[in-house]
Amino acid sequence: MGSLSTSLNIALQSLQAEQGAISTTSNNIANVNTPGYARQRTNFAESTPVQQGDLTLGSGVHLDQVTSLRDSILDLRANQETQQQGQLNAFLGAAQQIQGLFNETTGTGLQASLSAFFNSLSQLSTNPSDPNVRQAVLTAAQNLATGFNQTSANLSTLQRNEDSSVTQSVNQINTLTAQIAAVNIQVASATGSGQNAGPFVDQRQQLINQLSGLVDVSEVDAGNGSLTLSTSNGAPLVVAGQSFQLATQPDPTTGLQEVFSLGSDITAKITSGALAGQLQIRDQEIPGIQSSLDALASNLATDVNTQNQAGFDLNGAPGGDIFVPPPAGGVGAAATLTVSLTDPSKIAASADGTAGDNTNANALLAIQNEAIVNGQTPLNAYSGLIFKIGNNVSTAQTQQLSGGLVLQQIQNLQGGVSGVDINEESANLIRFQNAYQASAQISAIIDSLMQATINMVSGV
Amino acid sequence: MSIRLNPDLLPDLLASIQQTEQNLNISTQQLSTGQAVNQLSDNPGAAAQLVKNHNQASQDDQFLQNINSLQSRFQIADSTLSNVVTALTRAISIGTEGANGTLSPSDRQAIAQEVQGINSQLLNLANTSSQGTFLFSGTAVTTQPFTLDPATNTVTYNGNTNVTSVQISNGNAIATNVPGSQLFQNAAGSAFGALQALNTALLSGNNIGQAVSQVQSALTQVSTQRVTYGNALSQINLSESFLNQDKLNLSSQENSLIGVDPAKAASDLVQSQNANQAVLNATGRVLNLPTLLDFIK
Repeated sequence: MGSLSTSLNIALQSLQAEQGAISTTSNNIANVNTPGYARQRTNFAESTPVQQGDLTLGSGVHLDQVTSLRDSILDLRANQETQQQGQLNAFLGAAQQIQGLFNETTGTGLQASLSAFFNSLSQLSTNPSDPNVRQAVLTAAQNLATGFNQTSANLSTLQRNEDSSVTQSVNQINTLTAQIAAVNIQVASATGSGQNAGPFVDQRQQLINQLSGLVDVSEVDAGNGSLTLSTSNGAPLVVAGQSFQLATQPDPTTGLQEVFSLGSDITAKITSGALAGQLQIRDQEIPGIQSSLDALASNLATDVNTQNQAGFDLNGAPGGDIFVPPPAGGVGAAATLTVSLTDPSKIAASADGTAGDNTNANALLAIQNEAIVNGQTPLNAYSGLIFKIGNNVSTAQTQQLSGGLVLQQIQNLQGGVSGVDINEESANLIRFQNAYQASAQISAIIDSLMQATINMVSGV
Repeated sequence: MSIRLNPDLLPDLLASIQQTEQNLNISTQQLSTGQAVNQLSDNPGAAAQLVKNHNQASQDDQFLQNINSLQSRFQIADSTLSNVVTALTRAISIGTEGANGTLSPSDRQAIAQEVQGINSQLLNLANTSSQGTFLFSGTAVTTQPFTLDPATNTVTYNGNTNVTSVQISNGNAIATNVPGSQLFQNAAGSAFGALQALNTALLSGNNIGQAVSQVQSALTQVSTQRVTYGNALSQINLSESFLNQDKLNLSSQENSLIGVDPAKAASDLVQSQNANQAVLNATGRVLNLPTLLDFIK
């Protein structure tokens, strides 16, 4: 038979259990706006029943455990999508600045200078001996060179900006991996000692998610609650309580920061996260555009020079260079394109040495219709470059938009599992409050029963 | 049991607000610039085509400028040659008069004098220059094409026989000069040679009729060659109207490439305004919804 004191004990346990539940509810409500917080649930469990003869008597309730509700698969997917978004955001931020350098929708980009240069040659063909017309050719050539120089210089500035972003990202990655390593131990030790590791997991997931925005992270469960993190190419980031720092070191030829892990260069192996986007802009997008501009500037300058050399100037002397000969192979041609000719009379409009002949001016003009850049006319090559620049941005925008929707959806699913709902907590609160009050009432009743028993015994 | 929804509505609401604000921005920008393509990425294909389009339009402008400067040159050449025709016609007329056997040698001498005058007038015309360059010296535009040796009274051509051509539209070039030797010292009838022969004939009284017919054939040559300039003038007029039409086409093409339909843009603007307001309104309401906590006493 259960005694009164057993009943009192049961009521007391119940009070404690409900108190724990109320405390958890209160904690949930307190953390409703905490990023990364997963709502917690108290698990009530029946206490081990007491066997008395044939009777099995319940012995009350106890709080079995407090668990954090989260879905690790959703966490993983959120991290993966965050990596994609990180990369696309970093790429787009810079790529949009790049396309701003090519102001072709307002007609004020390189096309205008390119057309103006050939138009000045067309003008020259109508009046090859006019000094003003000749001067106009030189001015147009200078404007064209300046256009190339500025565009190339602006691209280099953007490239250097991306380079310092790379260093910043690496620093952030290192800070995060150190933090994750510290939390990783706490998760393992809480799990090992059977405590609720939830709050530490919340924190760790929050940090890994931030890390995912920066670099591609691959997670492996190391058992005992600890995670092993590496880049998707296997460069270790966090193993148990140890973080592996990434390092940067300037490349001897380009001067750009390369990313190293444990002494080996992993720059080309980073596949997503902001770092990948920054590297993509710095090492592919900008160099690609630069080399297209270089090819255009270099082939144009070389062909114009060659054609000018083939003719005769206003004084009947053989023509020379109009542009400083571009560097061999064309690398850096756009940045350094310079008009070397200063005397307009030295433009070789004539093919026979007579002042009125325009045959060579026509030949210079004809370069605009010659396939001099990768089998394309200068303008078509440039137009192709414009398409490429715009299309890279537009493709990334589309991916960012759809990836963003996917991420939003995953985050909603995460919220469905882990988000704190005030209504739900309030309902729980009422439930726990009622149960608490009931247990308190039971204590009072047992108290009065005990009083009655004591009075009965003392015979008062 | 229904699936538990994300109790935090804010991210979705914020995303919707952002989306409608973005649409609002796009419509405003399209209306204010009149362009549907404001960045390369808005329509990369159209932007690339626009580069070619702008280049073509700027070439057309240049062709029109070329035409302008050619036009004045051709007009000067044509009117010069018209004066040459008048002068030669006069020479024929007075030469025919001089061939009349009843004239005294002194009368013929007077006529020879006038022929000599026509010869120097012709020399001036043949040395016509425009904007500092000689029109009839081939490509040796800085060399005076014809000089007269007073001792022998012969005219020498110092220019060359080169012809220049200038593009007046894509792939369409025209010759811009006729060398002076072809005009005035053509093998089939040299104006200078004929006038000199006429002068000599008048002074000597022999072969005047033959000399007149030489002037006649020189006149024929000048008239024939003059047609080149006339043709060139009508050709550039044709090109001019073609180029103006092409520019119109290019600008309407540009409009369809990147232009915005104002009516559509305006209705887009109204729509995105409405959507934006609706989302803001909904957000205000949703965020202010009472929770169960409000009912716990």
